[in-house]
Amino acid sequence: MTDPADPFSEQRRHDGVKLVRAEGQDVPLLLRLRDIKDVCNDTQSFSNDNPLMIILHSEAAVRDVRQLPIESDPPDHTEYRALVEPRFRRPKAPEYQAGIGAIIDSLLDDCLGSAEVEVVRGFALPLQSRGLAQLLGVDESEADLWISWGIHVFRDNELGPKGSELDRYLLAKIEEARESKGDDFFSELNRAEFRGRKLTVEEKHGFANMAFAGGRDTVIHTVSGVIAYVAQHPEALEFLREDANRINTAAEEFVRYVSPLTVITRTCPHATEVLGHEVAAGGRIGLCWPSANRDETVFRSPDQVILDRKPNPHIGFGFGPHNCLGQHQARAILRGLLRAVCDRVERVDLIAAEPEIEQESSYSRQVGYKSLRVRFCGR
Amino acid sequence: MPTITFTSQNGESTTIDDAEGDLMSLAVKHGVQGIEGDCGGVCSCGTCHVQVDPAWIDKTGPATDEEREVLDFEQSATANSRLCCQIEMSPELDGLVVRVVRS
Repeated sequence: MTDPADPFSEQRRHDGVKLVRAEGQDVPLLLRLRDIKDVCNDTQSFSNDNPLMIILHSEAAVRDVRQLPIESDPPDHTEYRALVEPRFRRPKAPEYQAGIGAIIDSLLDDCLGSAEVEVVRGFALPLQSRGLAQLLGVDESEADLWISWGIHVFRDNELGPKGSELDRYLLAKIEEARESKGDDFFSELNRAEFRGRKLTVEEKHGFANMAFAGGRDTVIHTVSGVIAYVAQHPEALEFLREDANRINTAAEEFVRYVSPLTVITRTCPHATEVLGHEVAAGGRIGLCWPSANRDETVFRSPDQVILDRKPNPHIGFGFGPHNCLGQHQARAILRGLLRAVCDRVERVDLIAAEPEIEQESSYSRQVGYKSLRVRFCGR
Repeated sequence: MPTITFTSQNGESTTIDDAEGDLMSLAVKHGVQGIEGDCGGVCSCGTCHVQVDPAWIDKTGPATDEEREVLDFEQSATANSRLCCQIEMSPELDGLVVRVVRS
């Protein structure tokens, strides 16, 4: 039976490509790990410099600003990224991780005191949002507004499209921090210089838009995936408690297994061919992360969660110069979550799970949950 | 007790005495520049790339197949390249010298 999270296995083994219809083109999705890594390292042939087109479907209906640094190529990308990289590496510091631990503890306090928790909106969403407030160095109360925006800042299944609200908010924050010497992200963007000049409002907006859109549904789905797994595999917590190193390996394994972002695309400035499929100049190809992360030529028992999997050469955070800027934040959240659940939770009882299904022309794939109702039982 | 020396691109070196555990964790703990160890040592991120001093490669052994999965895509990888998260210190490696690839 096809795993609902990996509808690519047959074609991955067969020829390594799956075509999917998007924006009037049959986009070839690359399915194998090595092919995807090759493309990631060749930014001249496979470019990110195509605003609004970084995911499979155009985002023109929900935003009009070029997201930075992702929607640019080296050498611009290298310099743009360097402006924000130090902040996005802060999660590697123990004191930062202690802050994330405190956010998780406070959420777990509520969960352990409740008869039932809907994990996606009642746990993962507030965790992601409060974590983002810490990353961006803004008051934790800002997160309450972000939580009200729902799972995806551009579109929420229950709340509908709302990109413009995010844009209004971000532009107001940037303006508010214009003269600020503060240590928050918006003030930092106002102070940043790119090649001897200040960033334009559009560039600052592009950085801010990326920071809010990038690690939201992805983190939420992975956190929900961790809780769902623990609920379905009660022995997992004891296994993790036996060896502290398993917190790291398990966090990486959940990133590999959930692979919450199905496709990122690249645009081909010149006509090219990928694995026998011709792509016209200006056409796109897709990099299918979940498929690469189940590549059976690389991963032993790829469909199984192996909590102490090592080595685990997954590319759940992408690969190459455009790899995920928020990966350190994601790791801090996942490792903190696993540690806290091991310390404080005896077991998680599953009440009901409704998968979130992505539907495309040639496949459908489970990506996290629409709703995940559980009961947390304390130790 | 074994010692390990990390040398950097600019010629600086860090020597760690009483070295125990894997080289990536040792480097991160002692703040060796150019070793990030982002993935925590599961051979995914490639941010702990070193070149083993030629005099030592027989003792550390070459990169495993899994390391090659990562190193094949790293610029400046050579036959002596290893991911140092995959090298465990041992008495046989007392005096080991590795060169950090990133600056």
